[in-house]
Amino acid sequence: MTDWNHGMDPTQQPSLDDGMQSPYEPELGTLPSSGNDEETVNKTGTTTIGIATDDGVIVATDRRASLGGRFVSNKNVQKVEQIHPTAALTLVGSVGGAQSFIRSLRAEVNLYEVRRGGNISIPALATLAGNFARGGPFFAINPILGGVDEDGSHVFSIDPAGGVMKDDYTVTGSGLTVAYGTLESQYEDDLSMEEARTVAADAVSAAAERDTGSGNGLVIAEVDQEGVEIDTYEYDDLL
Amino acid sequence: MQIMQGNSQQQAYDRGITIFSPDGRLYQVEYAREAVKRGTASVGVRTTDGVVLAADTRVRSPLLERSSVEKLHKIDDHVGIASAGHVADARQLIDFARRDAQVNQLRYDEPIDVESLTKDITDQIQQYTQTGGARPFGVALIVGGIQNGEPRLFETDPSGTPYEWQALAVGGNREDLLSYFEDEYREDLDLDGGIDLALSALAEVGDKEVTPEGVALGTIDVETEQYRQHTDEEIETYLEDVDTEGEEE
Repeated sequence: MTDWNHGMDPTQQPSLDDGMQSPYEPELGTLPSSGNDEETVNKTGTTTIGIATDDGVIVATDRRASLGGRFVSNKNVQKVEQIHPTAALTLVGSVGGAQSFIRSLRAEVNLYEVRRGGNISIPALATLAGNFARGGPFFAINPILGGVDEDGSHVFSIDPAGGVMKDDYTVTGSGLTVAYGTLESQYEDDLSMEEARTVAADAVSAAAERDTGSGNGLVIAEVDQEGVEIDTYEYDDLL
Repeated sequence: MQIMQGNSQQQAYDRGITIFSPDGRLYQVEYAREAVKRGTASVGVRTTDGVVLAADTRVRSPLLERSSVEKLHKIDDHVGIASAGHVADARQLIDFARRDAQVNQLRYDEPIDVESLTKDITDQIQQYTQTGGARPFGVALIVGGIQNGEPRLFETDPSGTPYEWQALAVGGNREDLLSYFEDEYREDLDLDGGIDLALSALAEVGDKEVTPEGVALGTIDVETEQYRQHTDEEIETYLEDVDTEGEEE
């Protein structure tokens, strides 16, 4: 007998979708259920820094991944990724959770742009990222979002419970207390992009000296109206 | 059997909406457009400093409470919708639009674009032209609001196609109202000019006098970005500038 219904119940009507997106889930794919935060999971440990200037945003990170905080599992990790034509996000916490978080946000940014004919604003992207992180399904991610839109430069930190906080400069990761020491003494509100890059490098370098989860050099994203440029450095290149 | 009137070949194609006729038509969708024409008119005018929505709300009996006739609807602070056709069908889409606007606010912490809202509504309408057992919406909507500081004005029809307009009408007398707008609309109209144009269009094509009790008027201006429904007293003031006599006199 020919299967006209492709295996579906012929008495069942196709269901009408109410078309309403959940505000707390990515449109494509699902959020991971919160799970094993064990010693086998690669973590970034990490020091990541975002500094907003008048001309753009500097996002700086170290390059170390670690297991259980005692073993350096990778010495050349890129912990800042472009997720929007003019925004970058850092990976902080579990590497797998942060990578999947970045892929989900990129898909959302692309869908928003093709449907509406314009890029999502950075505060809207921060809200979306906070909604996805809410409840901590990406166990212990704590990224920084740095971006530029028509309203200027923005830096947001996003915590594992979905908290979204805007600031002029911010640090997340295991080296944050050390890095803040450098920033509090060197940050000024009229830094140029180049000056901000040096301040950020100095702060990551200080954290690398004392925090076992941070080290092995720098990756820096420079974000301005033109786009995102990501480069790898040794501390001596910038200090 | 009187039921089998008309072209028997056509009969087979106007039962299920998921079936094209041999000449490529969806009869149920076309019948839904006829249902819209049976409703009283609603109009929308886009001006330099805001959007005007107006509707003919004359009631058939003096016993009917006017407030129970729903033609203009606030969707979000910055968006309003005027409807024509089946009120019950319109209510479903109005509630969809209200929830959709709040979902955007929850998701992005930003007010929804008027264009995105319109396209979400038309995507919803379209599903009812392609799903077995469903009936298309017998309603057309005028979606007006402010997006990035600019007035925007859209139409949805029963097929689920979105259109953007400078000035438009849906419902009864649509063709007459459109040709009136084609003659009288100017791109440099301000909000007051748009209100006068909307009210005079309803007065021009109607066969009875337009009174404050017989129209509903809503505006969203670029300065406040707030939807506002006007009172009878305000409408009366506007009507003083307009020739309110119907064609029949």
